[in-house]
Amino acid sequence: MEILEGINWAILAPIVIIQLILMVVAIFDLVRIEKTDGPKWVWALVILFINLLGPIMYFIFGRRSY
Amino acid sequence: MKQWLTLYKKELLEMVRNYKWIWVPLTFILIAVKEPMTLYYMPQIIDSLGGLPEGAVIELPVPSAGEALAASLSQYNTLGVLIIVLITMGVIAGERKSGVAGIILVKPVSYARFVTAKWAGVMLLIWFSYFCGYFLSWYYVGILFEFISFTDFIQSFFVYGIWLTFVLTITIFFNSFLQSPGAVGFITMGITILLSLVSSSLSHLLDWSPALLSVYTNTLIMGNGFPEELMPTILISLFMIILSLFASIAIFRKRELA
Repeated sequence: MEILEGINWAILAPIVIIQLILMVVAIFDLVRIEKTDGPKWVWALVILFINLLGPIMYFIFGRRSY
Repeated sequence: MKQWLTLYKKELLEMVRNYKWIWVPLTFILIAVKEPMTLYYMPQIIDSLGGLPEGAVIELPVPSAGEALAASLSQYNTLGVLIIVLITMGVIAGERKSGVAGIILVKPVSYARFVTAKWAGVMLLIWFSYFCGYFLSWYYVGILFEFISFTDFIQSFFVYGIWLTFVLTITIFFNSFLQSPGAVGFITMGITILLSLVSSSLSHLLDWSPALLSVYTNTLIMGNGFPEELMPTILISLFMIILSLFASIAIFRKRELA
């Protein structure tokens, strides 16, 4: 794993943190929301396992109220 | 004015409630910051993916700071525009479907205030997100490559922001008469893509087209100064933004809730 050592974590950390925040907010909202567009458990999987795009897709398509 | 402020506050409150104030800025930051980092770590990424024969040497030219920042903007040109259209496409059409617009408009609320309050609400959200993302991208480019002068940064920020505003206003415009949010999104994306394609392929004929603002922004970032076509382009874009805003108010008044 020498590649990991060559990477400056101080530069990468903000990206990881932003992703984590997005994921946590999305999950928090998914638990509280009454109904989503499509089954809830599928959205849970999408948020948790699709890197980067999962939470964003949930916010755009999952929780629309119209 | 008081009525307008109430409508405006309602917009902002709604965006707080559905977490737009959290996820839109964060997404814009991710989109923008990802790009200079990928460019910076490109040699390591290629190494770790492997698959190269032993001893193969790839010489990648080190991108200049300007190129790295321009790469962020090109991400906004695709993903950023897509996100703007997706979050704006339901702003009026969705409310009309769910009946909220009806509840508001039975009261003596002027259509102009209703539409402009919505427009201003999304404007604030998008410009805030865009500033966060672009500023951080500029900062990262400064750390990883070299700092681009702050005036160039601010100038390119405002010039490119006009293009994003243009996209947003067009989306609101189609909102005023189309029923389904999906149709609004689809048509706006189509028009944006078409406009970009036509303007970049016929750039000698259409050198004032709003879609070329991104091209001119790149010239600005690269430190090549202010292109002379830029000023007319900005004026025409602002004019078209105001025109489509007025048109959407007029159409919305006529169509009402039909």
